[in-house]
Amino acid sequence: MVFLTLSCWIRNRGPDRYWKVQELLKNARHFRGRKNRCYSLAVRAVRRAFIYASKARKAKRRNMRQLWISRIAAASREHHMKYPALVHNLLKSSVQLNRRVLCDLSITEPRSFLALAKLARARQQEGFRAALGDGNEPPGVFSRITQLS
Amino acid sequence: MSSFSRSAQQWATFARSWFLIDARMQPPGKIASMCSVRLQGKHKPIYHPLSDIGDHVVVMNTRHIAFSGNKWEQKVYSSHTGYPGSFKQLTAAQMHKKDPTAIIKLAVYGMLPKNLTRRTMMQRLHLFPDDVLPEDILKNLTEELPQPREIPRKLSEYTQEERDTFPMLWTPPEDYKMK
Repeated sequence: MVFLTLSCWIRNRGPDRYWKVQELLKNARHFRGRKNRCYSLAVRAVRRAFIYASKARKAKRRNMRQLWISRIAAASREHHMKYPALVHNLLKSSVQLNRRVLCDLSITEPRSFLALAKLARARQQEGFRAALGDGNEPPGVFSRITQLS
Repeated sequence: MSSFSRSAQQWATFARSWFLIDARMQPPGKIASMCSVRLQGKHKPIYHPLSDIGDHVVVMNTRHIAFSGNKWEQKVYSSHTGYPGSFKQLTAAQMHKKDPTAIIKLAVYGMLPKNLTRRTMMQRLHLFPDDVLPEDILKNLTEELPQPREIPRKLSEYTQEERDTFPMLWTPPEDYKMK
């Protein structure tokens, strides 16, 4: 006997080629040219499109963070402060707001952002006094807050 | 944005402002960086590179800008039209004499992002060599920006009393000859 396994014996090459092709072409329907109709061209175009989409999902996180940072920098410059100073001093004051939230606050809650900028500025001045001054408490303060590591 | 709350939208958030900068005795690079920030819209928290939210910037007194160091003689602006023999090199002084607004224009052009929006941003930059501004631009101005560099006073601008009371590092003896 020549045909020893079932896969060699059957002559019908599968009943559902149409649906498999359609499943691929539905991802290519918005392309330009014959890539949206012809299977061989569409296969290549769809594979490239999926690769670009995967790379873009990683790049989106980077781009969003960069946009947040530039928006926060713009808002903090409106309040006479620079972005690195703002972020570092907020960190030192143990304000754990991430850049996404800071960006949203700067757009929709301007007064809250102003309060945060003032907090960062006060912490900055305190840092300068600690570094440059003589270690005494500033006038009018009689007890220091606990140092948070 | 999923976290966008329905707070009161400030009126004229997306308005285009007109800024005025006086470039008298200022370094052109600092003026150019201020201009480029505002032309791109990077001074606004709603910034996005695709949004076209830049403002107009009017720079006056570009004839009276002040390079530091020996840049008037040493800084060279080169250009080539592509044809053989057309490589031109001009010092900053020659360029300024030919066109008093060219230095700031080139500086801002180099500081803007190198994409298709650069030309539209340059169209929103208005440069004037002197104090005289046309009336329609004067009507549009909304804000004047502070100058980046503090102009030092000339010796002739100090009063005699200020000169006398100025602290001396050392008092020269009677028979000391100044060079």
